[in-house]
Amino acid sequence: MNKNWSLSQEAFDALLDWLDSDRELAGVKYEQIRSRLIKIFTGRGSIDPEELADETINRVTSKLTEIQNEFTGDRARYFFGVANKVHLEYLRRKTPQPQSALTDAVRAELEFRCLERCIAWLSEEDRDLLLKEYGAKGQTQADRRKALADELGISLNALRIRVYRIRTALKECIEKCIQDSL
Amino acid sequence: MRAFLLGTLDRDHKAQFEERILTESSVYEELLIDEEELIDQYVTGGLSALEREQFESHFLITAERQKNLRFGKLLYKYAISQVDLTVRGPSPIPVRSFSFLRAPVRRWASLGLVAALVGAAGIIIIRGFVNRREAASVVQETTSVVTVTLQPGSSGTQASTAQRVNLPPRGVEVKLELELTHSTFRNYKSELFRENKSLKISDELTIESKGEQRVVPFTVTGEMLSPGDYQVKLSGVLDSGADEFIDNYPFRVIE
Repeated sequence: MNKNWSLSQEAFDALLDWLDSDRELAGVKYEQIRSRLIKIFTGRGSIDPEELADETINRVTSKLTEIQNEFTGDRARYFFGVANKVHLEYLRRKTPQPQSALTDAVRAELEFRCLERCIAWLSEEDRDLLLKEYGAKGQTQADRRKALADELGISLNALRIRVYRIRTALKECIEKCIQDSL
Repeated sequence: MRAFLLGTLDRDHKAQFEERILTESSVYEELLIDEEELIDQYVTGGLSALEREQFESHFLITAERQKNLRFGKLLYKYAISQVDLTVRGPSPIPVRSFSFLRAPVRRWASLGLVAALVGAAGIIIIRGFVNRREAASVVQETTSVVTVTLQPGSSGTQASTAQRVNLPPRGVEVKLELELTHSTFRNYKSELFRENKSLKISDELTIESKGEQRVVPFTVTGEMLSPGDYQVKLSGVLDSGADEFIDNYPFRVIE
């Protein structure tokens, strides 16, 4: 790929068209592919998975004129092939990265304050659920979850998804709170 | 999925699994949930030593996951505090009360109040005690265990004013109950010193509730104690396995 190649609006539009003729659906597919590529690169131990995911997408986009009439099947699979190549190149040029700096006490205090504030905004039911996740000492996570699911009368998987969503919302709230406080 | 997250999946299975991540929404969503659960297991000590090593060397490689771990630790710390606090009374502790306890001046004021109450209780109890000449901490004897409650003393307690404990009989165990002002650890470590010489270390100690007070029990044998000055160093055990100093508990054994 030409190193000077960059994703123009026109090229990006062409990529979306290739992913789906419905622009809205194409946007969703683009986001899905990007986030999943990030997970794949993360699983391979890449320190900067976002950069590799973007590089993969850029390469696919730059080859669209060649592939859009030839490639058939699930478009996501094509990204996977390109991702493998991008990753190999990454391994050749990989350099050690510095460890992230330890967070200072002031930040820790701020995080805790934001956590308290954000937890207070959760519904009582969600807050109880989250705290019960860590409830009884001496129980494994699986035991706690099973007891909780029984108590709530829902399946274990439904409980896992629910806890995940509460945590994600809480995490976003804390990040926003920290940003606003800085 | 766990093997993928910990970097132990073999090459062929990994390639197959990666392709499924890209093409199957359910696999990707399950992966997101499993990531959070793995972090929880790490934070709560639910991983084996090998898994912990793999988690630290492989899973934590990206900044995003390090941030998620930080969130997991924060949430765990908060949840444990809330669980411990709710043990103390029938009504839930309001969220803001935790900040109150963490404010240094107020915390020491609270500590002072608790110490004063315990001291007052001690004075009443020791009236019936064999040795009436010396002030002593709250001591209860059973046939084989002597229980001694110690207050933290890092705020400048001198040896001359350290809590006094009667020399226990030979052949009994001495249960030292180390009072806590607040608790944020699942496990604790205690070390008994006499003149800077370590006599005993215990780790994996957990909190006990004693009425409204929370204590860390640390048991030593009566033979370890003879008249003189002692100190117990209490630390919290971090998720990483490292210790974080909490307080010293000085006491003097008298005949």
